[in-house]
Amino acid sequence: MCGICGRTSDHEGAAVAAMNDALRHRGPDDGGVYVDTATGLALGARRLSIIDVAGGHQPLSNEHGNVWAVLNGEIYNHPFLQRHLRERAHHLATGTDTEVLVHLYEEYGDELVHALEGMFSFALWDERRRRLLLARDRFGEKPLFYSERAGVLSFASELTALSAGAELDSELEEAAVDAFFVFGYVPGPGAIVAGVRQLSPGHLLTWEPGQSAVVRPYWSPPSYAPRPAEPRGELVAETQRLLEGSVRSRMIADVPLGVLLSGGIDSTLIAAIAAKHSRTPIKTFTVGYDVGAVSETQPAAATATALGAEHHELVLSSADVAERVPALLANLDQPLADQALPALHAVAELARREVTVAIGGEGADELFGGYPRYRWLDRAARWQRHIPASLGAQGARALRASPLAGRARRVGLLVDGRPLLERHLDWVTERRPALRTQLYGPRLADRAAGSNLVDDLRNRVDGRLALSVPGGLMNLDQRHWLPDDVLCKADRAGMLVSLEIRTPYLHRELAEFAATVSPDVHLADGGKALLRALLSDVLPADAAPRPKTAFRVPAAQWLRGPLAPTLAHQLDAGCLYGEGWIDRAAARGLADEHATGRHDHTQVLWPLLALGLWLDRRRGHDGA
Amino acid sequence: MPEPRVLVLTPDYPPAAGGIQLLVGRIVEHMSRLRPRVLTIDGPGASAYDDARDLDVLRVRSRAGHRPAIGALNALALTQAARLRPAAVLSAHIVTAPAAAVVGAALRVPMVQYLHAKEVGAHPALAAFAVRRADGVVAVSRYTRDLALAAGADPGRVHLISPGVDIPHRSGRGGRAARPTVLTVARVGERYKGHDVVLRALALIRIRVPDVEWVVIGDGPLRPVLQRAARDQGLQDCVRFLGTISDAERDRCLQSAHVFTMPSRIPAGGFAGEGFGIVYLEAGAHGLPVVAGDEGGALDAVVPGVTGLLVDPRNHIAVAEAIAELLLDRSRGQAIGAAGARRAREFAWPSVSHRVEDLLLELIDQSAWSARSRPAASRRRMRYAGRGP
Repeated sequence: MCGICGRTSDHEGAAVAAMNDALRHRGPDDGGVYVDTATGLALGARRLSIIDVAGGHQPLSNEHGNVWAVLNGEIYNHPFLQRHLRERAHHLATGTDTEVLVHLYEEYGDELVHALEGMFSFALWDERRRRLLLARDRFGEKPLFYSERAGVLSFASELTALSAGAELDSELEEAAVDAFFVFGYVPGPGAIVAGVRQLSPGHLLTWEPGQSAVVRPYWSPPSYAPRPAEPRGELVAETQRLLEGSVRSRMIADVPLGVLLSGGIDSTLIAAIAAKHSRTPIKTFTVGYDVGAVSETQPAAATATALGAEHHELVLSSADVAERVPALLANLDQPLADQALPALHAVAELARREVTVAIGGEGADELFGGYPRYRWLDRAARWQRHIPASLGAQGARALRASPLAGRARRVGLLVDGRPLLERHLDWVTERRPALRTQLYGPRLADRAAGSNLVDDLRNRVDGRLALSVPGGLMNLDQRHWLPDDVLCKADRAGMLVSLEIRTPYLHRELAEFAATVSPDVHLADGGKALLRALLSDVLPADAAPRPKTAFRVPAAQWLRGPLAPTLAHQLDAGCLYGEGWIDRAAARGLADEHATGRHDHTQVLWPLLALGLWLDRRRGHDGA
Repeated sequence: MPEPRVLVLTPDYPPAAGGIQLLVGRIVEHMSRLRPRVLTIDGPGASAYDDARDLDVLRVRSRAGHRPAIGALNALALTQAARLRPAAVLSAHIVTAPAAAVVGAALRVPMVQYLHAKEVGAHPALAAFAVRRADGVVAVSRYTRDLALAAGADPGRVHLISPGVDIPHRSGRGGRAARPTVLTVARVGERYKGHDVVLRALALIRIRVPDVEWVVIGDGPLRPVLQRAARDQGLQDCVRFLGTISDAERDRCLQSAHVFTMPSRIPAGGFAGEGFGIVYLEAGAHGLPVVAGDEGGALDAVVPGVTGLLVDPRNHIAVAEAIAELLLDRSRGQAIGAAGARRAREFAWPSVSHRVEDLLLELIDQSAWSARSRPAASRRRMRYAGRGP
């Protein structure tokens, strides 16, 4: 865990010290700054002590003091790497994974990343070669922002920290604001602030004095494609081997460990595996709500009982929401409109009272085909061949106009003849792109008519939809939604309360194996067929009944209840409207309709609230 | 008296490619004291193959698919046995065990079951039937012997006979490629062969040996997956997929590569992996040092540190280090390759076939069939020893 930062020209170390201070919540236990006096390069790190609590001070160097490293995250295979390095006559002074990095660099240079299994972003400074190496893990679990200006490179784990030590524009990046409204998150490698980039997952950055930074990939999510049928028993067994190995590697810690349990199959499965491999009862944590039709707490509690876990649960009340959500959204380093963030933040806070590290089910849906969209759009692609285009377009219009929301709209997406990625975009963004002309103010007017968001998706898909529609979409989600929404949410929710969230599904070998399995195998049995089969082996259904209903965050009720005053204040005085990003009257019209209860505009109002609160905090303006 | 006749039942037979096919083909070719009749399945190039050899082979048509062909093969075995009255029946794969068991019991002749590995995990009930009914079980390695015992075989009836290898006319000298070349020869269909691990290892090998090339011979449903993975990971310039090629071309690749690797692992969930790995011997016969997994059949096919390096087959770093070491230390690679070539000579096919014949003849000698053709004095003893539980 922790936070890292650095600057290639900071002779006094003052800028890096300021960045480090801004990262204190990520690493409250320890902090340090290293300055290379010859070049003025400075590295900083804040640390949450998990492994080698006593000996893990950062920045850290090799025995010669000429290769320095700062690490945010965990290298799960570091026990093997330590043995491997000692066999090759390296002298390791500590038990930390950070030290492994400097010695692996001596062995493999920049390609050391190919030996790493874990979640990380790190920086390595080679004093002899005067060369800086930055790297980010394969799935984007740990963040890394950077900016390059006048030959000086600055970087930090969070955007706020980067702002504290690097001269950044106060301007927002219009393309990123547009993308944020559409997706609800800022897709990398861009950032919400002009002139800032995020190092993409699975990428390296190298920098040398007098030269521009060079960024290149070292890994990318594997492609899925259909293949002939193979015995499912072997596939389930291999899933079990890899997932058990991954859970066990993520249980290595010198501090207590818990499981964030939602009651769904992803977290139930890893909880069952963790319970099997733990000598003491595992600790499980769940959050529920005091409004809404379904609750996660009841099935999670049943699972915990079946596993003999020490279970903790929390009900996020409307009063809690009113108190915590505005501050949470405002204080993120980069805005995020995922409605599940408040709940994850609350359960992380609950867990932090008992443990320092918790495992969660992130990534299972993207790797193993959990989202219904994969099946629906797969059907859409097949039906498209049989439905005349004009008929499809008419049908789609009729269904869109239908008072039946949800399902009718989805069927509309199936029959309309537009390119598949446009329909994918409409699905994942709840048709927000179409609302841009109505909502965008003068600052975004150029973006309202249209933008290259679909082109960007098409570039990322890179022809994979032709191999398999669901496989291509799973791969796309692993490149877009997973790092920039799901993992950003997990990192920030954990870090704001100094809890490290580890994700056993995001294991390189498991991901590569999943991609060798035919997508139709994944999509059987309602999706995630291999995980379902494995769960019924590990934890029979009668031991802990599994829910059939997808959980919905009661965000619509929150916007009518505890968050209504905040939303109203935003609409009155928020910079988002004052600066001309969003049209105040149009937004107010939607908010008023939503308040009556006859319409549900949560999918628009939540991103506006998240962005508005964040912007006001950045401007030093009290929009809440 | 003419040589006793043995009925050889096998779904896998040349010219189809694969270790089992090669094994059965070579054993039959080199039989001299028994008269084999091979019953197998038709396939591309089969009639030309059979015509070119003076062997007694009958094939069933396989147009309706593999499973019906197996049924037809078992049925053919019964009619052929009734007609020929063989002295023994050799079932080269457990899918022919049902017919072999019936023939053995009906004619009171010995049934010998060959056991490889993978089929034991895929069809555990059939494997248990086969090894329990057989008078003799041939296990191709210690690993397979353990699988046979776990399936319920009588330890006294399990015989370990390693497969063999074709000794090339020239081996290990000259002809190596200028570019450091790592070679894998295997069907690209089963994950346990370890292609995925070699691909991961390649990124690390490339650091130590920048111009390394991995040549992959073989085909199967994982090949496009692997090719895409190589492209996804930016490794397309150092991997070459040759697909299925002729034996002569394959031998040329074995002559020109520097290291052979196939880090086979035992699959999870009780499924079986590499029974032996004839291709390790073939690599050795061509003077290639081998990098293999330290489990399963490779423990018998490779002598650790002598004819190859055995490492954790799931750990791409360990595989990378072993391959890089052999590529960089050419003299060590050559010494290990030379040891492989020397050892390969101990596995020449005629001696393997000879051992299988020894086993069959011994069982025939003890059987009711033998008793029928010999004086009454030995008949009682043989009848008692002939049938299993």
